[in-house]
Amino acid sequence: MGQGNSDVLSGTLALLVLKTLARGAMHGYGITLHIQRVSNEVLRVEEGSLYPALHRMEQDGWIRAEWGVSENNRRARYYELTAKGRKQLAQEEKNWNELTQAVTSVLQFV
Amino acid sequence: MSLLSRLQGLLRIKKLERELDEELRSHVAMRAQDNEAAGMTPEEARHKAQQQFGNTTLMKEDAREMDIVKWMETAGQNLRYALRMLRRSPGFTAVAILTLALGIGANVATFTVVHAVLLNPLPFAHPEQLVRAYDDLRGSNTQDVGMSAPELWDLRDKSGVFQEISAAWPVDANLTGGEHPDRLEFLGTSTNYFTLLGVRAQLGRVYTVEDSQPGFTEGITISDGFWHRMFGADPNVLGKKIRLDGDLYTILGVLPPGFRHPGSSLGSEVEVFAAAGFSAAPFPVPPQRTLRMVPATIARLKPGLSVAQAQARLDAFTAQLSREFPVDYPAAANWGVRLVRVQDDLVGKVRTELLVLFGAVGCVLLIACVNLANLLLARSASRQREIAIRQALGAGHRRLIGQLLTESMLLATVSGVVALITVVLLKDWLLRLAPADMPRLNEVMLSPGVLLFAFAVSIVTGVIFGLAPALQTVRPNQVTNLRESSRGSGSSKHQMKISRTLVALEIALSLVLLIGAGLLLRSFWHLIDVRPGFDPHHVVTAKIWLSVPNDPAEDNYRTTEKRAAFHREVLRRVGGLAGVEQAAVGSQNSLPMGSTHFQLRFTIESLAADSERAPVAEVVGISPDYFPLLKTPLLRGRALGEADDTKGQRVALVNETLARKYWPEGDAVGQHIQLTGVRPQSPNTQWITIVGVVGDIKSDGLDAATAPRIYLPVNQSPSYAMVVYLRTNTDPGTLGDAVRREVQSIDPSIPVFGVSTMDEVVAKYLEQRRFALELLGVFAGVALLLASIGIYGVMAYTFSQRTNEIGIRMAMGAQRGDILRIAVGEGALVVAFGLAAGLAGSLVLTRFLQTMLFDVKPTDPITFAGISALLAAVALVACFVPARRATRVDPLVALRHE
Repeated sequence: MGQGNSDVLSGTLALLVLKTLARGAMHGYGITLHIQRVSNEVLRVEEGSLYPALHRMEQDGWIRAEWGVSENNRRARYYELTAKGRKQLAQEEKNWNELTQAVTSVLQFV
Repeated sequence: MSLLSRLQGLLRIKKLERELDEELRSHVAMRAQDNEAAGMTPEEARHKAQQQFGNTTLMKEDAREMDIVKWMETAGQNLRYALRMLRRSPGFTAVAILTLALGIGANVATFTVVHAVLLNPLPFAHPEQLVRAYDDLRGSNTQDVGMSAPELWDLRDKSGVFQEISAAWPVDANLTGGEHPDRLEFLGTSTNYFTLLGVRAQLGRVYTVEDSQPGFTEGITISDGFWHRMFGADPNVLGKKIRLDGDLYTILGVLPPGFRHPGSSLGSEVEVFAAAGFSAAPFPVPPQRTLRMVPATIARLKPGLSVAQAQARLDAFTAQLSREFPVDYPAAANWGVRLVRVQDDLVGKVRTELLVLFGAVGCVLLIACVNLANLLLARSASRQREIAIRQALGAGHRRLIGQLLTESMLLATVSGVVALITVVLLKDWLLRLAPADMPRLNEVMLSPGVLLFAFAVSIVTGVIFGLAPALQTVRPNQVTNLRESSRGSGSSKHQMKISRTLVALEIALSLVLLIGAGLLLRSFWHLIDVRPGFDPHHVVTAKIWLSVPNDPAEDNYRTTEKRAAFHREVLRRVGGLAGVEQAAVGSQNSLPMGSTHFQLRFTIESLAADSERAPVAEVVGISPDYFPLLKTPLLRGRALGEADDTKGQRVALVNETLARKYWPEGDAVGQHIQLTGVRPQSPNTQWITIVGVVGDIKSDGLDAATAPRIYLPVNQSPSYAMVVYLRTNTDPGTLGDAVRREVQSIDPSIPVFGVSTMDEVVAKYLEQRRFALELLGVFAGVALLLASIGIYGVMAYTFSQRTNEIGIRMAMGAQRGDILRIAVGEGALVVAFGLAAGLAGSLVLTRFLQTMLFDVKPTDPITFAGISALLAAVALVACFVPARRATRVDPLVALRHE
């Protein structure tokens, strides 16, 4: 996202990434694949947003990165959740559910 | 900051970059591997992965948009996404495509005609050099009086402005030798005609200057159509002889299929082209300057000479000729030659009409776009969350707008393709809607220009209806959007403003179209209200052409007496046919709304001294029953009778226009006139006594001023080309056959053709106006319908958004009527804005209709007021219906709406 001015929005990407990493450590490419597959191809994470977000989250201490070896014996940078990240995930998940709940109830009413 | 830490920082950045580089490279590598696993070649897989990622280096520099590969990739993704979105709402997609396909199709169809008729240059080499030269007698305000052979030669040899100039003389010809005599259209030209146009034969050769003869050249060139019709496209047709008007001609060559004479003809395509020198029989010998027999010319200007330059030189040249031949060119007549580009001459009459229709059809498309934009705006509310999420996932503004525009472009392109296919399939059917006398219709085809237009109009359409909703949906601050859509009505304030502006625009455009159609309708009413000066009902007409052989000795009808006797015999026989109440004959130009003219200068005995005047009149030959049959009144004097023959005194009737013009105070009856510009041996050179004045017949068209007319008794000046008139109640088809039988029992070599009722003649004249009126009417009707739907939709949406407010108002004691008043009042404001804009637009635009109007000013207040009222009424009903529905809601339900 060019402007990156909105907490809520970058929060959404963060939420998706955190949730993905909650299953275990994964490299950037794996994260895009997972989100794409699980959302039935609807959500496509742009690499141009993913890596800046990953680095920001790393600086915030939500995740940490480590060089490892992929399934195919390729060097890759693996990300995993920190304790702080887990807390953040719970918070973000709660926020999102509240928001969508509200939207859904409005929609159902109409 | 110390140098050291700065260096450290730099090193750290270097390290970070290296790491990022490696990370991204491994990302691409993994994707490539997956691609390969999916069945791509290693090369392809790597390439694709790189593409999908974008050039990593460029991405780091945040210059992705510059990368064409990336751009194409993005476009591809957008397209796939757009396809999925459209498939997801098939109803919307169908409505959108149908509306757009109609709008684009109408535009493409109109453009196809505009392109062929107006824009495409004539299918000849250097078409800009082709002009027509008209003789005008400017002193008597008369145009296109025909040209004489000496004038033609002077223009060719001495004027210095033409490369070539040729006569173009369409005449009827009798083709004999077959089972029945057959009438065909014959064009007499100069021998340089084909050289001038740069046309070659598809078979054999065309005639050239080498073939020149004083009279008609024996070798002729035939059209491709005639070759097929008469000879079944026989390749051995060259050298064959055909007999036309009693003379034998040899076929030299066959013209290519696409060739048409670029000028007027008598009523069908020219089938035989023959050259003449115009200086020996059957032409007047010796040639005279004032015998302007050649009805039309075509010429090619010298290269590099503009029409204006050529005209200036010609003016000087004709002035000099007038001084040289003062008897032939009296100063009062002020003779001159006027040049008109052939292209303008051919399509001048329909230019305005086509451009107006093109503008109208463009308006309809614009209205359709506005409606779709509104539809998309309403949809955009429900899509704002989707957009917000996509933004959160890293899609930039440009990317999102691009994606939304891709959707509208896709819609427009699909519609464009549908429209194009429809137009191609319906082309022949659509062309039949156009009036038959629309020039160059045969050139209408699906050219690259048309395809380009269809493509361009689709793209522009997509941008027009997609841009506003796209910009609206992708608003800068999406946080508020997310909140707004969760809160409901708040989000739509801005959107409603756009919607209402669009609706006002729709109303304005519709009003312009409706007013245009209204003005044409009023013109048309006035036109059919015009009293034509004759009664066209129950009158059947047919044409007869006596052959004019090139050798006068072979002419069976050479003398006035013989022709007059033939006409009398025809009248006697057809007058006795069952169902015929009355019969008359007249010269070709006696047929109202016809295209043939025979204008002559004449002198008036009592005004002879007054050389300042050079009267010109249309000279018509008629039998005595012509006026009684057409129910045209005799105003003064006596009617013509059988006794007015060659033995009697030379007499004439004149029409009211002529009588008023030259004897505004006195009486025309008893005055003497003398025709000039007739063959010297003709009895018409004698003084003629005016014996009566008849009412005007609107012969030059219902909307044209009637020209002065002199009616000579057919017995005294019988022509070769005659029109037979029958007042009857019988079916014109069977009557035509009966007339043909009777005429051919007198002379089996004479064809009878052009059988039609006078009602048909008048209807055909009105056809062109009817065409413009009907099309504009349909366009305006569609515009009205679209605008009503637009207003209804927007108002319905507004009220559904305001259910809550309405509930509160009603709970506070507001009556249904109050709510209705507020609601309709708001709609009325939009309508009022639209009407004001539309009226302003109409005031500016209707002046382009000027030439298409008759007896109605372009700013006719009645039309403006009436149409505005009509549109306002329809618009208010479209507001009222949803408003009323909104007030029917139970206040309790309405209050709980949020």
